[in-house]
Amino acid sequence: MDTSSPSAFVNGALLGRLAGRKVRTVVQVIGSEIGSVVGKTTDDVQIFVRGSSPAPLTTYVEVIGIAESDNSIRAETWTNFGNTFDPQNFNELCKLANGEFKHLFM
Amino acid sequence: MIIVLLICSEFEFRNSGYRLGFLAIDSLFNANDGKMKIKAMLPATLTSVITSGKIQNLGLIRLLDYTANDIPGKSEEKYLIVTKCEAVAPALDSVIKAEIKASNGIMLKSKQDFVAKSASQIINEQRGNAAPAARMAMTRRVHPLVSLNPYQGSWTIKVRVTNKGVMRTYKNARGEGCVFNVELTDEEGTQIQATMFNSAAKKFYDTFQMGKVYYISRGSLKLANKQFKTVQNDYEMTLNDNSEVEEARNEEAFVPETKFNFVPIDGLGAYVNQKELIDVIGVVQSVSPTMSIRRRNDNEMIPKRDITLADETKKTVVVSLWNDLATGLGQELLDMADKHPVIAIKSLKVGDFQGVSLSTISRSNVVINPDSPEATKLKSWYDSEGKETSMSAIGSGMSSSANNGSRSMYSDRVCLSHITSNPSLGDEKPVFFSTRAYISFIKPDQTMWYRACKTCNKKVTEAMDSGYWCEGCQKKDEECSLRYIMAVKVSDSTGEAWFSAFNDEAEKIVGCTADGLNELKSEEGEVNEFQTKLKEATWSSHLFRVSVSQQEYNSEKRQRVTVKGVSPIDFAAETRLLLQDISKNKTSH
Repeated sequence: MDTSSPSAFVNGALLGRLAGRKVRTVVQVIGSEIGSVVGKTTDDVQIFVRGSSPAPLTTYVEVIGIAESDNSIRAETWTNFGNTFDPQNFNELCKLANGEFKHLFM
Repeated sequence: MIIVLLICSEFEFRNSGYRLGFLAIDSLFNANDGKMKIKAMLPATLTSVITSGKIQNLGLIRLLDYTANDIPGKSEEKYLIVTKCEAVAPALDSVIKAEIKASNGIMLKSKQDFVAKSASQIINEQRGNAAPAARMAMTRRVHPLVSLNPYQGSWTIKVRVTNKGVMRTYKNARGEGCVFNVELTDEEGTQIQATMFNSAAKKFYDTFQMGKVYYISRGSLKLANKQFKTVQNDYEMTLNDNSEVEEARNEEAFVPETKFNFVPIDGLGAYVNQKELIDVIGVVQSVSPTMSIRRRNDNEMIPKRDITLADETKKTVVVSLWNDLATGLGQELLDMADKHPVIAIKSLKVGDFQGVSLSTISRSNVVINPDSPEATKLKSWYDSEGKETSMSAIGSGMSSSANNGSRSMYSDRVCLSHITSNPSLGDEKPVFFSTRAYISFIKPDQTMWYRACKTCNKKVTEAMDSGYWCEGCQKKDEECSLRYIMAVKVSDSTGEAWFSAFNDEAEKIVGCTADGLNELKSEEGEVNEFQTKLKEATWSSHLFRVSVSQQEYNSEKRQRVTVKGVSPIDFAAETRLLLQDISKNKTSH
């Protein structure tokens, strides 16, 4: 396992706190422009995911990349997560992984 | 009951002596009450009190239950057969002698005071020419039910039919037959169940009528089967063709009122799926038409009708009436439903269908507009305010998930160690759990299926010439199908366990039918598809609904975990469950 550049699980609220770090999140795709995708995080924050996305995208997409600001990520990896992802569960995971159980995550 | 103090002397032990009725006589002794002496016997079941030294020579005992009988093949003497006794004092120094003479005729007082009069005397005195049954009552001593035991000779009881079962048919290895039973109550309120088979059942089925009083004699008693007993009595009665049943006409019939012990509707939750039967009283809110329900074990169609009852707790409950209660009494209720009668029902089962629901069983007893203070109170409550009150179904107040199918899979979730660490789990009755686990091993060389009848799924045997014989359907078929019955090993993070899985569940685990798997097994070739199929089934996780029960195997109790349902993992739902557990753990630490 490559542990050289770990990516933290984030939702919309956590994104700003980790600017410049490598992060991973899951968004619901709500639109796309040239060079970026507009997505909704699991805690209902609208963010921009920059970079060239593969086509087609499913409703839910996981992106791994560098947090640029509290509402944008420069994506390196895109993964389709299908159309039936449970956003609440992921949101809880983000909270646990950055809160009480932070020590368990890289 | 008369209590007699006796001094025992001269014990004589007999090892497996002779048998009297069902009673193996094991020891003989002379009993002496200071005035008289009588030979007495203790049955083998009481031997331990002698060998343990509780009853000694010249010891003082109190007789709690006994009969005095002639012993076939013995002399004219009567023998005292002790069925229950207790030691009062240890051995005395010597036999108390107050001119003891062994008596021929027994002088012990009978258990009930009974003035012996000749039959003609009584008839002259009291009845003139009354009905034969009445004479029977006069001339025969009527025994209280509580005094009956299997070792007694002739007796007559006077009892009221307080519950009459329906005629049931059965089929077993010895053939077909029918059976029905009644519940009898005597004046003292003691109850006993009487069972009749075949010809006796046919003979007495119409004789016995609910609520009427009868003289009964020449029945036999045996120990009651605790599993099936419905009344408080250590014994149950069997009536055969020779038994005498006579209605007590022209007599002031005593009425042991059906004793109700009402549970308020909002208190029913505590009884869900318990063995205990309950009584309810309520105002009829609605009555459904009859429906036909196919009973799963024998495919028989049985009528059912649902009624809704309400009481002062402002809760309603659905009661399912079955069989005759659905068609007969149910129709009566439907006709008068708009008048909102009060009904009292004795002996109902409480189930978890729709949260909480009630169901009649064969011995349930329904009384419409009973003449009781409870009924009057309920009726006046209903007329004054109940009618206008909004009421809710008792079931809907239960855990919200209880109403949909998800309850079975997501509640009472346990891990395997919860089941395996408690070997006595399911001792009383089977308990149900849900558990998420991996199939870790399916032994390929086990007998994992049986040949089943295509109609009834029961086991078939190979017929003489060709084809298969089904004992259940009593017919032969050219073909049969295979049905799984297999043991699988399952694992989770807490341990391992063996589950038994039957056809439908095993099919989901293995991923093909037993017939299909058998085909793979018989195929020859380099790659054994059969082995591959079983390997594929291993290390996949499922959600299991299991029952845990105890089975006796070689007189040793063993836990048996049976798969009642298998479903694929819903990962989102499982995650939610894990999140719940995490937050529960957080709050508890």
